[in-house]
Amino acid sequence: MSLLIAQGVSKSFGGLKAVQGFALELPERGLYGLIGPNGAGKTTVFNLLTGVYRPDEGTVKLAGRELTRLRPNRIAGEGLARTFQNIRLFGELSVIDNLKVACHLRCPHGMPAAVLRLAGHRAQERALAERCGRLLEMFGLASRAHEQARNLPYGDQRRLEIARAIATGPKVLLLDEPAAGMNPQEKKELRTLIRSVRDTFGLAVLLIEHDMGVVMDLCERITVLDYGKVIAHGPPEQVQKDPKVIEAYLGAPAA
Amino acid sequence: MNGRAWKNMASSDANLLSLITASRPGAAPTLLRSALPVVVIVALAVMAQVVLKGLLGGYYADLAITIGVNIVLAVSLTIVNGFTGQFSMGHAGFLAVGGYVSGAVTYYFSLTQWGSAAAAGGRLSGMPLSTEGLAWLGAGDVLFPVALLIGGLVSALLGLAVGLPSLRLRGDYLAIVTLGFGEIIRVVIQQSGPALKTPEAAEQAGVLGMATGLGGALGFGGLPKYTSLFWVVLFAGLTMLVAYRIKTSTSGRAMLSVREDEIAAEAMGVNTTRTKVWAFVIAAFFAGIAGGLYAHKLGVALGPVDAGFQRSFDIIIMVVLGGLGSISGAALAAVVVTMLPEYLRAVADYRMIIFALALILMMILRPKGLLGVREVWDADLWRGLFRRGKSAKGGGK
Amino acid sequence: MDQLLQTLKDGVTLGSLYALIALGYTMVYGILKFINFAHSDIVVLGAWLSLTIAAKLLALMGIVDPPAWMGAVVLVGAMVACGAVGFTIERLAYKPLRGAPRLNVLITAIGVSLLLQNTGQLSALFGTSPRRIPDLLPDTTLLSIGQVQLKLLDVVGAGTAIALMVALEWLVFHTKIGRAMRATSHNVNVAALMGIPVNRIISFTFVLGSMLAAAGGFLWALKYQTIKQTADSSWVLLGLKAFVAAVVGGIGNVRGAMLGGLAIGMIEQFGAAYLSSSMKDVYVFTILILVLLVRPSGLLGKATIEKV
Repeated sequence: MSLLIAQGVSKSFGGLKAVQGFALELPERGLYGLIGPNGAGKTTVFNLLTGVYRPDEGTVKLAGRELTRLRPNRIAGEGLARTFQNIRLFGELSVIDNLKVACHLRCPHGMPAAVLRLAGHRAQERALAERCGRLLEMFGLASRAHEQARNLPYGDQRRLEIARAIATGPKVLLLDEPAAGMNPQEKKELRTLIRSVRDTFGLAVLLIEHDMGVVMDLCERITVLDYGKVIAHGPPEQVQKDPKVIEAYLGAPAA
Repeated sequence: MNGRAWKNMASSDANLLSLITASRPGAAPTLLRSALPVVVIVALAVMAQVVLKGLLGGYYADLAITIGVNIVLAVSLTIVNGFTGQFSMGHAGFLAVGGYVSGAVTYYFSLTQWGSAAAAGGRLSGMPLSTEGLAWLGAGDVLFPVALLIGGLVSALLGLAVGLPSLRLRGDYLAIVTLGFGEIIRVVIQQSGPALKTPEAAEQAGVLGMATGLGGALGFGGLPKYTSLFWVVLFAGLTMLVAYRIKTSTSGRAMLSVREDEIAAEAMGVNTTRTKVWAFVIAAFFAGIAGGLYAHKLGVALGPVDAGFQRSFDIIIMVVLGGLGSISGAALAAVVVTMLPEYLRAVADYRMIIFALALILMMILRPKGLLGVREVWDADLWRGLFRRGKSAKGGGK
Repeated sequence: MDQLLQTLKDGVTLGSLYALIALGYTMVYGILKFINFAHSDIVVLGAWLSLTIAAKLLALMGIVDPPAWMGAVVLVGAMVACGAVGFTIERLAYKPLRGAPRLNVLITAIGVSLLLQNTGQLSALFGTSPRRIPDLLPDTTLLSIGQVQLKLLDVVGAGTAIALMVALEWLVFHTKIGRAMRATSHNVNVAALMGIPVNRIISFTFVLGSMLAAAGGFLWALKYQTIKQTADSSWVLLGLKAFVAAVVGGIGNVRGAMLGGLAIGMIEQFGAAYLSSSMKDVYVFTILILVLLVRPSGLLGKATIEKV
């Protein structure tokens, strides 16, 4: 059975049908892509999956558990983590604290333990430092651990966002335009990074991307959205040749 | 990419829980390290009362007590306005609730049980040291902290009632609800009846009569005066310690993440509503404690005005000038804002105009406040200042 | 019966005043998405300026009984002056913060509010003791039903407020500048791309809001006659209630503010008449909490969707 299953997910804003009947089946360790022209509703799909918006219709299930009506923090707890198109780091916090926040759900020792500085709190802080430190090393950010996140260069901020999503300990990772604004060298590194993330942590990845080089190279299957509807779904080669997809991107052929 | 790190992560367990249980330190050193700051604070508080008070003399000792109360207020408001980035404007409302509740407890308990509302404290609660055979602590020194605690708890409960409906929503609703809350507390206190003067009157009126006999518009006079440098230093120290320990914990980082980006915080698993409500309740608790300290201070007649918006704005000024989110910054600002009018006549006359201009200019020129979220002892604050100095020089070349 | 009529009358006159002030909050919130805490201080300024202008005019003309047109002169004078103040505040304090975090703008607004309150109390300006505005209208009773008297003052007060609101409604929904205001409120950036001079529209909105506030202050002065010092807490309560009116009606919605103002005025007066008058401030905030719990977007407001 697939890990993440979305069925008939729809959302309208006023009269605008932003997403209609979105469906997806993402298997374990799958690496899928979600593409479409600007304004097709890709980010809205992410927002619907992660609970930022509530779907008008349809269901979302992760590992057999219903996510549809949960609040975003609960959905994160179920194992769905994401990055944002317009980077949303905790700018004033240090790089490592950004990751520590994302470990929130895995921290059983709360405020009383912290105020009394109980052994549990100390052990938790040590474990957090160790785990987040290790994550930073993996992402090549260890030397910047104590800098404020907003002072990082752009590429590092993108990577930190991915690291932060992974720190939540997800089963599925949603990446919203991870390659946006990157140069070719960075894009190449990003491809390796995403594959390594999937292999090391055993995650399924769904990514929105405009860079066709990245998408076609990385993704096993691709879903194409246009005007809020899924117009094609399949392996990259097949999607590339689909006349509906070509029409959506290039316009209808002249009659 | 660091290949070794990837292999390590893959081979070891990424699960945090197992890491936590794996590292259990010995119990003894932990206890010592947790309790040591508290011991230091108690020692400082005793020293303040025994040594400092004599050195300062009456006037400055009194000013120091006011500063201490303001530190508790400013640091507690920092937890809401600084850590979570929500804007509470009714902190004085909680101050008044704490003050009136703890005041009612000490006043009516003393009156009915001990036959007089006079203070029954020892040397640490400000009785003259020369008093023959006086103990360090009197019966009142048990009553007083208990009353403070009750005041703080009632205040925290009210904080929960105010915070729950308004903190669910994004935006500035909290500001308006809390401002209204403070004004309502003021109006309600004004409606209370006169304070009962004799044990007989109090007995006759019963608990309800005592609870509503809070002096009305005239203020709640005649409270036993327990607040001394000892108590103020103790509670200011504890407030700062608790705030610091929260800030450097999972809960504190969650609060800061809410302030930085609520949507991202939620996506990372932070229950933003619960985080905000907790911060608000804790802040209300300490504001209640500060109210109790203020109510039992010599020369203070607790009145409805103390719940009003002007008092709340005073506290906001301290928090904003100190840097939204900096505990030491708020404490420092509390000291400066309290002392400046005492020293500069011009500041005293145009106090609020000067502070209002300072607020506006601060937001335009240095929007994060003097320290931002950083603390005075944070290394990178000084490094930042130093670097900025260097780069300015470099630019001149 | 008398009590019901009396309460209805009081509710309408007070409610129209709240509505007038609520409009200023709602317009600024609609465009800039922040609570302009200094708005109530403009109301206060309007009241004090009305008093000052009226007193000066009477002294200048050497008369005691003002002619009927003088009220209008005072009103226009106060509105123009407050409009100028509103313009200045927006340019100096708020404009440098365009695009800054909301918290910073909110703090600045608090700063501006404190500045106005405390500057007004300087002895060179209005001082710290309450003053009485000269009678601008004769104390005529137009209509009596039982014990209830409908006075000229009530009619002029509510009439002016309603006339101004109708004028605003026309301005916002039937003129070019009104369309620009609505566009800016919908999305500042897109409005700018469409060639709307956003900064000028924002300035205009502040001026308009401040002028309505001045009118509110003038009518308040007419109604209550005694004007308290600028930092008095009763002014803050007035501002708060007007803001609550805006929230109840649906913040950012011009018609909602009018409806909300009327609702708040009625609730306050009926609560005061039939429950307890000393607790009248409490009812308004109970309503606010209820609205926030049940329908946070207000009576006429739409739920907003945050762009992620």
